[in-house]
Amino acid sequence: MRSLKLAGQLVALAAVAGMLGLLIWRLTHQAHAPKIGKAAPAFTLKRIDGAGKLSLASLRGRPVVVNFWASWCVPCKGEAKMLEQAWQQYRAKGVVFLGIDYHDVTSDARTFISHHGVTYTTVQDGSGMVGDRYGLTGVPETFFIDRRGRLVGVHIVGTITNQVAAFHRGIEAALNQ
Amino acid sequence: MVAALAIAGPATACAHPRTSLAFLEGQIMCPTCHTTLDQSDAPAARRIEAEIAKRVDQCWSAKQIKAELVANFGAGILAAPPHKGFDLLAWWLPLGGIIAAAVLIGLGAWRWSRGRDPEPELESVDAETERRLDDLLARMD
Repeated sequence: MRSLKLAGQLVALAAVAGMLGLLIWRLTHQAHAPKIGKAAPAFTLKRIDGAGKLSLASLRGRPVVVNFWASWCVPCKGEAKMLEQAWQQYRAKGVVFLGIDYHDVTSDARTFISHHGVTYTTVQDGSGMVGDRYGLTGVPETFFIDRRGRLVGVHIVGTITNQVAAFHRGIEAALNQ
Repeated sequence: MVAALAIAGPATACAHPRTSLAFLEGQIMCPTCHTTLDQSDAPAARRIEAEIAKRVDQCWSAKQIKAELVANFGAGILAAPPHKGFDLLAWWLPLGGIIAAAVLIGLGAWRWSRGRDPEPELESVDAETERRLDDLLARMD
């Protein structure tokens, strides 16, 4: 009977230790928005506009504008035209525009791309894992990454149409750093 | 949901029993609001409902629809973890915990019941006292 009591206590102790371990793991793995000036979180995602995958690391050496969007997001529709125009404006300077379709149905995303005439590269973050790494609070959100893979400028939360000056400053910061 | 059904268009005949949006929307999560589709009115949830309605209309089975959603959104889109691999733990651990707790409680109760002091037996009443008690009761009647 004494050994039974000891076994029960050990099981209870193991259960408490397990729960504590889970809590610590959860706390240490929480998504935080990356800081400006630090390395942009790496990712490799499936392309929507073509076959294969694209990794952020493959764009090292070029300034990158990362725009998170979704076809169900109304403000994203509003900024799509401006993003495409900016891409046409800056592509000759070597700037890469990268759309990340967040929590979206693939066919809806393709319809969106076609309807809004988006020609820059678009990848899909269906599970939202990359969005979590970037500390996304919603869509649209836009980040600027310099040639060395660091986040620069400001992180634009919401549509760029309301923050045009910050948007262009972000691109210039990515180009010049 | 009405919009979803409207997008889906007219139903066609299926070779197998047709699944339904109502059947699936309690099993699929809204990725942006972390509730099941039937409890969400978020735009992402409505788009997924429309996609499910479209597939139902195309005679896709529930399994096929779920597989497509998992390929699109990851396993987190399912409200319940799959019954295979590591995810089986999510099903068996709570059951194992309940059984272990029941066994421990049972053993504890058994031990407690055996460890109690026996109730003291009532002393038997001798014949004289019993006769006097009967007399007393008879007089009270």
